[in-house]
Amino acid sequence: MSIENLNVSNSYLSFKLENETFAVTVERVHEILEIPTVTKVPKSPDFMTGVINLRGNVLPVIDTRIKFGLAKTDFTIDSCIIVLSIMMENEQITIGALVDSVQEVLELSSEKILPSPALGSKYKAEFIQGMIKNDEDFIMVLNIDEVFSINELHQMKENTSETII
Amino acid sequence: MDRFKAVFFEEATTLINELERVSLLLHNNPSDSSITEQIFRIMHTLKGNSTMFGFYRIGDFTHHFETLYDYIREGKMSVTDNVLNITFASVDHLRVLLTDVELENSVHKINHENLIRGLIEVLNGTSGEESIKNNSSDHKIENKVSDSPTYWVKFVPEKGLVRKGTNVLFLLDDLSQLGATYTVSNTERLPDFKKLDPAEIYLSWEIYVSGSVTENSILDVFMFVEEDCELEIRKISETNLLDQDGFSTIARDVSLSIDDKILKFGGLVKKSSSKSRIEEVRNKMEKANERSIITSKDNSISSIRVASEKLDELMSLVSELVTTQARLNLVSEQIASSELISISENIEKITRQLRDNTFSICLIPIENLLVRFQRLVRDLSTQLNKDVVFVSEGADTELDKNIIENLADPLMHIFRNSLDHGIESGEERVKKGKPAQGKILLKAFYSGNSVIIQIRDDGKGIDPEMIRQKAISKGLITADQNLDRRQIFDLIFLPGFSTAEKVTEVSGRGVGMDVVKRQITEIRGEVEVESVLNEGTTINIKLPLTLSIIDGLLVKINATHFVIPLGNVDKCFEANHEEFVDKINDLIILDGEQVPFIYLRDEFDIKENCPQLHQVVVVKQDDRRVALSVDTIIGEYQAVLKPLGRLYKSVDVISGATILGNGEVALVVDPNRIIKEYIFNQIHNEVLQ
Repeated sequence: MSIENLNVSNSYLSFKLENETFAVTVERVHEILEIPTVTKVPKSPDFMTGVINLRGNVLPVIDTRIKFGLAKTDFTIDSCIIVLSIMMENEQITIGALVDSVQEVLELSSEKILPSPALGSKYKAEFIQGMIKNDEDFIMVLNIDEVFSINELHQMKENTSETII
Repeated sequence: MDRFKAVFFEEATTLINELERVSLLLHNNPSDSSITEQIFRIMHTLKGNSTMFGFYRIGDFTHHFETLYDYIREGKMSVTDNVLNITFASVDHLRVLLTDVELENSVHKINHENLIRGLIEVLNGTSGEESIKNNSSDHKIENKVSDSPTYWVKFVPEKGLVRKGTNVLFLLDDLSQLGATYTVSNTERLPDFKKLDPAEIYLSWEIYVSGSVTENSILDVFMFVEEDCELEIRKISETNLLDQDGFSTIARDVSLSIDDKILKFGGLVKKSSSKSRIEEVRNKMEKANERSIITSKDNSISSIRVASEKLDELMSLVSELVTTQARLNLVSEQIASSELISISENIEKITRQLRDNTFSICLIPIENLLVRFQRLVRDLSTQLNKDVVFVSEGADTELDKNIIENLADPLMHIFRNSLDHGIESGEERVKKGKPAQGKILLKAFYSGNSVIIQIRDDGKGIDPEMIRQKAISKGLITADQNLDRRQIFDLIFLPGFSTAEKVTEVSGRGVGMDVVKRQITEIRGEVEVESVLNEGTTINIKLPLTLSIIDGLLVKINATHFVIPLGNVDKCFEANHEEFVDKINDLIILDGEQVPFIYLRDEFDIKENCPQLHQVVVVKQDDRRVALSVDTIIGEYQAVLKPLGRLYKSVDVISGATILGNGEVALVVDPNRIIKEYIFNQIHNEVLQ
């Protein structure tokens, strides 16, 4: 259900990290939560904020800012968790993505999504599904399977440990 | 239709499992007729089901199989090793047939044909019909079949019978089910080919039936066509004429009337009949049928089949209810309304009962596992040419179904080891003064909150000194290391240790006892070995009753709650902060004893709000004790375990999470892991120094 569906669907949820706007297809969004008590799991990488109780289930929460190389999220009144389902190693799992604020739901026909520029982007090409031009701003549509995939998480972990040494 | 097929597959699997179980019983009591009766019934049901759902290959296969057991239950054949072997091969093949219905895999296909050929060969040794064709005068068969009367049936169908939707050949088939038959067709009525109307029947038949038949049972066959045919039935002899020499010549002579034939047949008869035996067999069959009706009635009332996902869902809902209940308690205490408290207490009672009930539903007796071990022992002991008997005790001990599922592999491995390396060959055993037949015992019983499974063989045992030498040669321990008996046996479970001198097909599959240990640890079990040289080896497995709930000690470090499984908790103490900092040897004195400690605040990288006074929880694993420092101990807590999910797979000191009454998530600590990690780090540090 990954890429084909993404092209057909034309609703996107946009959210902000610092000054930049990103979007994910609403098909993968379960709900948006205010931030409850988060339990940090010891010995886990920095960008894994911890776990929360989502109606009796344990939901891992990922700090999207750290994933994107920004400073750790300071909780504000706008901070929230987007509950997403992602495909990881052919299995569907649910995660929470911590973001600065959610913006709006955009209704767009698929031709409005431009291919992402191959050069000059500060994010890895495989993270970005495409671009949306919204007034004067560009919104980056994320390929969430890639962004939050375990391989990428492990890679990040290795990087952080290198910097420590 | 797919839904129906799914039901069929599920039922067929149950039937095949049942068949395997019953066949194993037969293996032990080959002469028990109630068992052959049971096998026959299972095959019959399977045949009916599979034909109904269009799985003709299975139907065809089971048909032959059914015939085999039909002969056996009628006493025409006895249960020989050959029959048993073909039975077990058929059980396996039926499983294959369920996955490869059309036999697309050529290996399966060849196997299928071979088995059917084998079955037919076994059957040919006995079938009355066949023995006449071959004119064989096998003495044994003659004796067995001769107790049955012979009937003569003349069946002249009306020409238009086919148009009414009757397949006449089916009637003849049905008739042959009653016993041995010999059929002579009469072509007198056949017209000239040009006048022949393919929709009409011109043939008529004379059929000789012998077996436990009566006039009524023959009439039953023709029940629906009685009006449309000419039917004559006569008992022509009290004995089986079909296997008499010269029978077919007389029977085939169409010019003779039946009365003349009877006269001629009279000359053939050598033996007198014994009608009473037929009656006896028939009575037995009737009784068996009655019994089967009663049991099936009982089954339909006392149990239902539920998909295991539904159970899992029920389980998780109940767990959620338990969590919510804890929250309700908390809130009602805060509000302090007596009315609310009484309601909450009531709900708590119901919740507890519901929880216990649901858990018991998910428990299944360990017996479900035993069939495959019985089978394994039977197959392997034949393969290894050893005489081994498998005995089980406490087969009704119940365990969580998830545990049972995960237990099969490690147990299988332990059994293989016992059979291959543990139990000696027959001669060797006799030389040692043991009975030639080896024995493997599986004993299951409850012990507190856990279930113990013991697998004991009376084989050659393991020499601790040999293990030591081996471990030294493999570099697992050093030659000067002093280990006690327990520690030496524990070496077996280290990766890279395998006692097998040579790799055999049976146990040398590249997995050692370390895998067994790992698999058992995964279901929160423990395993240990005890062995006495020349007397045998015992493997003890300790398992929790259920995987989804644990009794734990709720503790707090800064803002985070942790649960330490109560099974590992030894003692609790208090200690000052100073006792934990700047220690060179990481030892703390508790109760006058030196205990190594782990300062969890450092271990878990929690720095905020460090208290002056710490609580200390001493956890033990086997004989090792380690003190864990926490901020506060809150108390006992029954934790519903939730997985942390794949993202936290790398964090192994935390084995799961649980949700507290106030909705926060508490983390469940795995003390075994912490201890292991601690020891590893110690060794690491020593190496560095």
